[in-house]
Order: sequence, then structure tokens, then C-alpha cells
Amino acid sequence: MKKYLSLLLFISVVITACQHQTDPFDGPNLIDRFGEFQLTTDIAASRNSVDFSADEQVFFTAGFSKNINWVLRITGKESGAVKIIEGFDRELNQENATWNGTTSDLPLFRDEECLVELIIPEEDSLTTSVDITVTGERIYEGSLITNFEEDLGDGLFFGNFEFELTGATGRTNAIPAGQGEYCYFFEGTDNVVGNFFVGLIQIFPSVNGETYFSMPTTIPEESHFNFFLYGDGTPHTIAVIQFFTDTNGDGTFTDGVDKSFQLEGDFPVTHTGWKVFSHTMADIGISEAELSQLTAVQVLLISNMSAQPNPPNPVRFGIDYMTFTQDQPLSL
Amino acid sequence: MLRTKLLLRAICCGLILIVLGTSELSAQTEIPKNLHINGLGRTLIQRTQLGGTISETDTTTASDLMDGEFLLDLKINATPNEKTEVQSILRLRNEFGGFFGSGMSVEVRELFARGIVGNSFRYHVGDMDLKMTPYTLFQHDAGLNVNEAEIFRARQELIDYEQFYNGDGTRRMQGGKIDFGLSAGAIFSEINISGFFTRVRGTDFFSLPTRFVSGGSIELKNDRWGSITGNYVNTFDAVSIGGFDNGIRNPVQTVSANIHILDNDNMALDFEGEMGMSSIFETQETEPFDKDDTFAEGAFKLDLKPRNLQITLGFRDVGPDFFSIGAQSNRVDLDRSRTFYSRIGNDRTTRQASIFDLNRDRALYTYALSDVLRPYDPRFGNTQPYGRATANRRGVFLNVDYALADSAIELGAEAMQMQEIRGQGTTELKSFTLARVTGDININRWLGIDNILKVNLGYQFEQTQRGGVEIETVSLNSSLLDAGIQAELFDNFDLLAGIKQLTSVGDDYIPEVIRFNEVRDFPGRYIVDDNETMIAAGFRYRFSSMSTLNIQWERFNSSRATDAERAYQIDQIFILYSLYF
Repeated sequence: MKKYLSLLLFISVVITACQHQTDPFDGPNLIDRFGEFQLTTDIAASRNSVDFSADEQVFFTAGFSKNINWVLRITGKESGAVKIIEGFDRELNQENATWNGTTSDLPLFRDEECLVELIIPEEDSLTTSVDITVTGERIYEGSLITNFEEDLGDGLFFGNFEFELTGATGRTNAIPAGQGEYCYFFEGTDNVVGNFFVGLIQIFPSVNGETYFSMPTTIPEESHFNFFLYGDGTPHTIAVIQFFTDTNGDGTFTDGVDKSFQLEGDFPVTHTGWKVFSHTMADIGISEAELSQLTAVQVLLISNMSAQPNPPNPVRFGIDYMTFTQDQPLSL
Repeated sequence: MLRTKLLLRAICCGLILIVLGTSELSAQTEIPKNLHINGLGRTLIQRTQLGGTISETDTTTASDLMDGEFLLDLKINATPNEKTEVQSILRLRNEFGGFFGSGMSVEVRELFARGIVGNSFRYHVGDMDLKMTPYTLFQHDAGLNVNEAEIFRARQELIDYEQFYNGDGTRRMQGGKIDFGLSAGAIFSEINISGFFTRVRGTDFFSLPTRFVSGGSIELKNDRWGSITGNYVNTFDAVSIGGFDNGIRNPVQTVSANIHILDNDNMALDFEGEMGMSSIFETQETEPFDKDDTFAEGAFKLDLKPRNLQITLGFRDVGPDFFSIGAQSNRVDLDRSRTFYSRIGNDRTTRQASIFDLNRDRALYTYALSDVLRPYDPRFGNTQPYGRATANRRGVFLNVDYALADSAIELGAEAMQMQEIRGQGTTELKSFTLARVTGDININRWLGIDNILKVNLGYQFEQTQRGGVEIETVSLNSSLLDAGIQAELFDNFDLLAGIKQLTSVGDDYIPEVIRFNEVRDFPGRYIVDDNETMIAAGFRYRFSSMSTLNIQWERFNSSRATDAERAYQIDQIFILYSLYF
């Protein structure tokens, strides 16, 4: 009797042991891997125009015969801004293909017509497209110093002390801006006084009607300074950005008195096009008290004379959208 | 330098003397009573020629190869006292064509000590063969044969010997083990306890931590109703040695039982089963791998004693994530390079492993454990490529063995119907059908003559199928024929002949496995229409039960309908002399 009970017990446990995790299957889906691709539903936008400044969003729909890698490329027809959304799915829907106005590659989108292309790289880059209109560009969080869209007037000091800056220097829309239509462009050659320095501008809080620059937080570790830099790929340009704090407490910028801070290493501008840079204010060694009393931001064009040929080549860069954010760098 | 040369010359002379079988070594040497010298002497000389369609255009591959070896395994066994035994096997080997140092190697093939403490506690340290159950620590026979012909066994036995494969599922490891038994009174007549601890890999102090395998079992035995055994084995990395951040743990625990249901003069009915679970995980904190699963197997074994008929009917269920390094490490590693004609053709394409390679090339075999499922060839076996512990299988099996009373005919049949538990690349499940029949016909017993006249036959058919849409469907049929004859023309002088043929038609997807048993991809549909045929004929002279000389010719043809231009043929003649002393 005991052995029959033992047998029964063993068989019962054996049956219990036959429960397994059976869902999903192992490896990639064979149909996705080897099945024939067909675009079953062409791309469409959930709306023809979208106002991102009013927190609107737009999503795109399309359908395929199998899961496949897809790329959604949205290009601003005026700004040249590009937003890339990628996925591996059987369809595009609100879950995986929603655009909230952000950008992948600078510049930022403006109020403009946009071309939305759906690309299937594995299918000989099959492309289908739709147009939408941005009626209100996205508003990014943070405290803006300036985006150069308006003339800064007395809020900007132009320092061409050695007369090395060219006439191209200034607020301009001659090049596509990093945001909006205008940016500030520097161009010059360190060929008058060979001291690296070419020229500078100083921006004061008065551009925003303030005594000191306002910012989301004055804790240096949590305060991020962000800006866009434009380069033309030449190798000798260096951008320097300095912050001045109100050392004498007079509520204005006093040259030679107010203490300055800058990031070690500065910003060699060797890239082509617009690029976003960010650092915390703690990175420049400023204290919370000093950060709460910023009286000026100074932007300098430096020529890397150590590497320049003789005579030196011109150097140039553009700057746009200088802003402070809290806790994290500016998210495009 | 001169002394070294003389030593090598003396060793070679000794080897040649033994290989030539002039006499048994023990008769020549004065050996202390507690020191025994045994071993193996082997001479192998073989000539291999490549031909066939590919040779018509292949201008880069040597068409004729000749190689071989002279080998002496000197087993020295000492028993300093009646409870202690020490043994080593010293291997002297010389490549065919190598003389006086060139191509010669001297190595220790085996070294161990064992003994008994207090008449009850047995220990063993050093090299050893370990086996637990088919799901914990076991080496299944991955060779492709079904009642293999006698003529093919000489080469297979050579490979098995080189790879420490004894045919009983043991694995060659290095470490220590103990076992002892207890008498336990009323319920259990006997309790047997064993344990072991082995190191299977040393650290390189860069990327590979030291790896250990430990385990043990407790068997509770009752003379009347059977036994129940608890088994545990754990493969683990010692991350502290070498300061590694990550290591693996693969514990497997099982309970096996053998229950005697009925036993009388006419029949015996037993139930044998095993069930348990495995875990495989990594110790690193970021993205650790962590899976566990269970398995269960049960079978009724009926023995109709007067009829010499044994029938086994069972059920097996091995979970998709079941992973047991000690049981699933195949002894055939198809990723390894062949020692001959590894690449052929002007494009130097790797030659696919064949039934000829499995019978000839010891380089394809390994006894090392692997923490990733080794690749398998579905033509050779799709139902259970990793033995009984093959994961993701559920089904039934039936074995029948029958023998005439005088053993003139011995027949066997095996059938298996398995199905995946979890799909691969689809929710559709593959089904596997395996049927195998074997027969040994001892004609001499029918005819009433003493000289051996024996025919052996074996046939295996395997079918893999999966439904679904066109992309998902799979259909692969493979069959293997093994047949041979052994005719003793004169006393101890055998004529041997045999054929082995594999045909495989259809398609399947072979998973690409990374990290233990994780399927990363399916590189593409594997389409086959292959035919491999190996025929052989030769003579064997048995000097004694310990000493044989084989002279054999073999021809192997491989053709693939999907790649007809690469069809090839290999002819081989070899002389193999083996002497166990």
C-alpha cells in the first residue's frame, strides 16, 4: 500500500512540475524576420496643423504586414529642423508615433510647414510622406537669457576693441538660427594684435528688465546653463562664455570689479551647424550667493593662435538660445 | 642535450616494442607486488584522399593526406596499503613522421588517489569520472549511430577513449568526491550518501572567473519497494578569485525514484522517474540573467521474463528554460575545426561536419562543460539534440527490447513523440517523431557453428514538423541506416563490412543561441537535401581479447542537392593496432 501511495504521490508531483512559462515565444518573430513586407495603411497625421505652444500634439498612423524597423523623419521646411522617431512595430499609432514639437537635430522648429516622411530602411528605404503645419512652436522650460529674436538695445555691449571683428558680426538671420529667425554671429581675424582675443559682447539682465538674471534655481549644482553654438567646421575658433557676479553690490555690471567665472577649457568650435551645449553652474565654481547676483554674461571670440598658420585664418561662430534650466540640461 | 636525446630514444624504442606486441610488459619487468603497470599501446596510420565533384575544380586542397600516431598510455597503479590506491597514466605520443623529439609529446593523462577510511568512507581525489542523473550531471551519447556496425566501432572507440567517454554517461572531471553508506533500520534498508567538488575552469584573471561544479546525492533504499534519491548539482563561478563583477550560478535539484510495483517469476513492473528544477542566473547587479524552470519524467518498465521482452512506456516534460550545464553540454562541438579537410574548394569554405567526421575526427569531441548550448545539426538529431535533458520538449516514449532465448536474434525498437512547449519565433509548436529499430542476428548460432557470423542492422527515422503560415512551417525528414556484417573467416580473423547512410530532406530553422539558452536570432531557413553514405570493408585480427589489428578501407560520399557542385568523396585506408596490457 505504501509503495502505491508513494507512486501516486510522485506522479502527482510530476504533473505539477509540468507547468511552464509558455508565452511569448523564443527569439525574434519569424514573420517579422523573414516575411514579406507590405505597407497596408499609408501614413496619415492625426491633425493637419498643430500648436505646440498650446500643448497640442500630433500623432501619425500607418500599418505594415509585419513588425519592421521604421523611421519617421519630420523636417521643418523653413528652419531645416529635423525630428526623428524610430521604432520596430507592425503599426504607427498614438503610442509610438506622437510628436510634441521637440527636435532631434538643431535648429528648433518654428511656426512652419513640415514634411513628415515614413522610411522603411530594410525595404530599400521605402518612403511615404504627409505634410503638417506648425502654428505654434514648442515652449521649452527654463529662464531664457536671450534668443536674439529682438534687438537687445542697451542690454548688449559690443566690444570690438582691436578692430578685428568683421562687419558680419552681430545679430543676424543671414544664417539659419538655432531657434527662431535670429542668432548672434561672430566673425573676425586675430591679425591686428596677436593675443588670441578677437572680440566680445556683454549681455546684461536689462534685456529682460531685471537687475540680476533670473533663473529657476540658484543652487549651482541644480542650475544648468544651456546654449546653441554654430560652427562652420574650421579648426581654430574658440568660444568663451563668462559670468559676472555683482561683487560690489551696486546692482550693475562693473568691469574690472565684478568677479568672473568661466568653464575651464572653454568651447572649441570645430563642428558644423548648430549644437547644444550644457553645463551646471557648479562646474564653473560659482557659489549660490554669487549665482543669485549675475550682472552680465560675456561671450568672446578667441582665435587659437597656437594652431593658426601665419597669417592667421578668420574665425567665426554663432550663438543662440542662452537659457537656464533646473535639475537637468535643456531637453530638445 | 645528449641525455635528453637518449631518453627520448629509449622511450621511442619502448613504445615501438610494446606497440609491436612482442610480449606483455608485466612479464618483462620486475615490479613490486603493490605496483601494477597496465596501459594501452596504439599505432594508427591512415591515408585519406579527397575526390568527387569538387575536386574537378579545386586546385587549392591537397588531395592526398597521410598521418598517424604511435602512442603509449602507461598506467601505473600503486597500492601502498590495502586501503589506498594511487594511479597515473603517462602518455607518450609521437606523430607519424616525427622522430626523436619532433612531433613527440609526453603528458600526464590521468592522476588520482583514492581509498577507504574506516571501512565505510570512500574518497577519491584527482581525475575522476562522475555521473549523477540525466538531468543533473550526465554526458549523453551525441554520436550518430543506431546499432553501429562492428567495422565502424574501432574508430569510434578510439575517439571515446581519447575523450574519456565510457558510454555510461560519466563526465571526466577533476576534484574530489566522497561516498559512504548507512544502514538505517526499518523503513530504509540502506542510505547512500555521496558528494563531490570539482574545478572545471581556472581563471585567466581578465574575463573568465574560476568555475566549480559541486553536488551530491542521498539515496534512500528499501529492498522491497525500491529507492528514492535526492540529487543536487551546482555549477558556479568564484568571482572573488580574480576580483570579477559577474559570475554564474546554475543549481539543479531533482528527486528520482525507482519503485518496484510488481516482481514475480513471470514479470516485473517498475516505475522510474525523476523531477526537479534548475535555475540559471548571473551575480551582476545590472541586467542580470535569471531564469528557472522544471522538468519531470516518468516511465513504467515491464519485464516479461520468460519471453525476454522488456517494454518501457514513459512521459517526459522538460521546461523551455530548464538549463543544466552538467547535463546539456554536448560532447560534440560542431564549431570546432576539423583536423582534416576543414576547408575545401577554391573558395576555402568550411566543410560541414558529416557522419564520416563524427566517426573519424576526435577534434569534434570535447568533455568540457559549456555555459552556452552548443550548436547542433538537425540532420543528426532534432528530437533531443541535448539528450534527455533537452529543454522545451514534452511527449511520450516507448522502448521495446526482445531477444530469443539463445540470443540468436536481439531486437530493439524505440519510438518517441515530442512537441515543443514554447514556440521558437512563433507561437506554433514543432512536433518531433523519432522511430528507431535495431537488430543483431547471430547467424552462427542458427547454423550451430563456433565462428562468429553476425549481421547487425539499425534504422532510424526522424521527422520534424510545424504548421502555421508559410514562413513558420517546417518539415524535415531524416533517416539513418546502419548495417554491417562480421564474419570470422578463421579463428580470430574477421572479415568486416558495413554501411552507414544518412539522408535528410526538408527545412528547419536553427536557433542562434547566446548567453546560456537564450535564442538571439534565426540566421535563415536551413534547407537540406543531403545524402551521406559511408561504406567500409576490412579485416580484423584479434591476437587476444586485449589486442587487435584492423586494416580497413572506407569510402564516404557527400552530396547536397542544394549545392551539387560541392559534392565530394573521401577514401580512407587505415591500419590500427591496439594493445591493452
